[in-house]
Amino acid sequence: MPKIEYANLDAEIEKLHSEGFTYLTKITAVDYVDHVEVLYFLRDIEKNKEIVVRSDLAPNYLRLKSIMHLYPAADWYERELSEMFGIDFIGRKTKRLLLEKWDGKGNPLRKSFTWGSKYEVQE
Amino acid sequence: MSETKINIGPIHPSTHGVLRLVVTVDGDTIKEVEPHIGFLHRGVEKLAESRMYMQNIVYMEKLDYAAPMAHQELYVSTVEKLLGIEVKERAEYVRVVLLELQRIASHLLWLGTMCNDIGQMFSMFMWTMRDRDMILRLLQEATGQRMFYVNMRLGGVNRDLPAGFEDDTYKVLDSIEHSLGEYKDFLESNPVFMERLKNVGVLSRENAIRLGVTGPVLRGSGIDYDVRRNSSYYKYTKLGFRPAVETGGDSFARYKVRMKEMQESISLVRKALEEMPKGDALGLPIKLIGAVPKEKEAIVKRELPRGEGMMYMVADKQRPYRLAIRAPAFINLAALDHISRGQRLADLFAILGSLDLVMADVDK
Repeated sequence: MPKIEYANLDAEIEKLHSEGFTYLTKITAVDYVDHVEVLYFLRDIEKNKEIVVRSDLAPNYLRLKSIMHLYPAADWYERELSEMFGIDFIGRKTKRLLLEKWDGKGNPLRKSFTWGSKYEVQE
Repeated sequence: MSETKINIGPIHPSTHGVLRLVVTVDGDTIKEVEPHIGFLHRGVEKLAESRMYMQNIVYMEKLDYAAPMAHQELYVSTVEKLLGIEVKERAEYVRVVLLELQRIASHLLWLGTMCNDIGQMFSMFMWTMRDRDMILRLLQEATGQRMFYVNMRLGGVNRDLPAGFEDDTYKVLDSIEHSLGEYKDFLESNPVFMERLKNVGVLSRENAIRLGVTGPVLRGSGIDYDVRRNSSYYKYTKLGFRPAVETGGDSFARYKVRMKEMQESISLVRKALEEMPKGDALGLPIKLIGAVPKEKEAIVKRELPRGEGMMYMVADKQRPYRLAIRAPAFINLAALDHISRGQRLADLFAILGSLDLVMADVDK
């Protein structure tokens, strides 16, 4: 499936949900430094079909609309992405991070985050 | 009555690792469960980006210490797809044998610990551990290691099955099949066991899809989805694999699914050993300096003992640029809040036990 324009992302997911892709397998992201790609793995369990919805985010504007009203399964994935990539999900009730066990700044799965001294962020 | 908050864990005998639950109760009826995770976070996904493809295999095993074989196979398959390496035919059979043995071992561990969780049945735990140990010995015979095998290689396995392995396996499988029948009679005629599982933690078909649960939890809610059949890999279709499905949706249905799966795995191992072709099953040596990825990215999914596992890998030259792991226990734990609302506090661990969690898998 070709990449979806950022502006059409929510409409596309809503459309797929109404077409029967009601099972969410995973939401994940990849940091390509000049952009962050976000991937939604959706599935139609009855017809055994799968689809990956992709979109690019600008690294200085990491915002997505929460899809929890369609897929309650998205809850923990969205929290994970907030913590690991710093993506802000709009329309969520709880903003609690997922692992929340560390005191550091930065988002570990961004490429700018390195294994330096304790939680050092290289900009 | 007013609502009270109770803190359970992070160290608690029934949380199977380090898991903290903040439970809101009204009387002893659960209003909300808030799992706090991350005590076991090692940053595997980030760690994988700094190691070469085959160096990562040891980390992947530690994702799930109850079924390391399944996780390393998932990872090695992802790398195989990325580098464009074909698996040898005999190796496919060897992998099916090892994976299904691992599934039985993992489910036996679950059966013992779940009986422990619902109380009184410590003897069950002893018996299932005895049976599990027989399988661990078989795996030790086949791979040289008892717990973390590091046995999968690109295109095959590190060691072929040793001489005499088949006879030993048949003996162990006969013995386990016999004990499984006994456990079944013993447990299902036990009123305490039935009372604690029947109609407890009911998850409806619709909610199972909405919450995205996976593996035996999904099939226990009446959804006929098993990766081994729905996106068939290795020889599962040829070996006549049939998924175990139950429609109850409660803890008892999840128990039945896993019991049936063990039975199915036993027949899969037997059949795979019978039909295994002669030839070479050895994979490439672990040193793979200068490997050139053929694909830009790879998505591989596998039916692990705890549910569907998936890895998404983006290629760099020598090491993964990004490795995203879908852990089955992670998403099953996310559904705990929904499943346990309205239940009694005492049933919380019966439900948690029926989800079969491994916290190392949840926290990554």
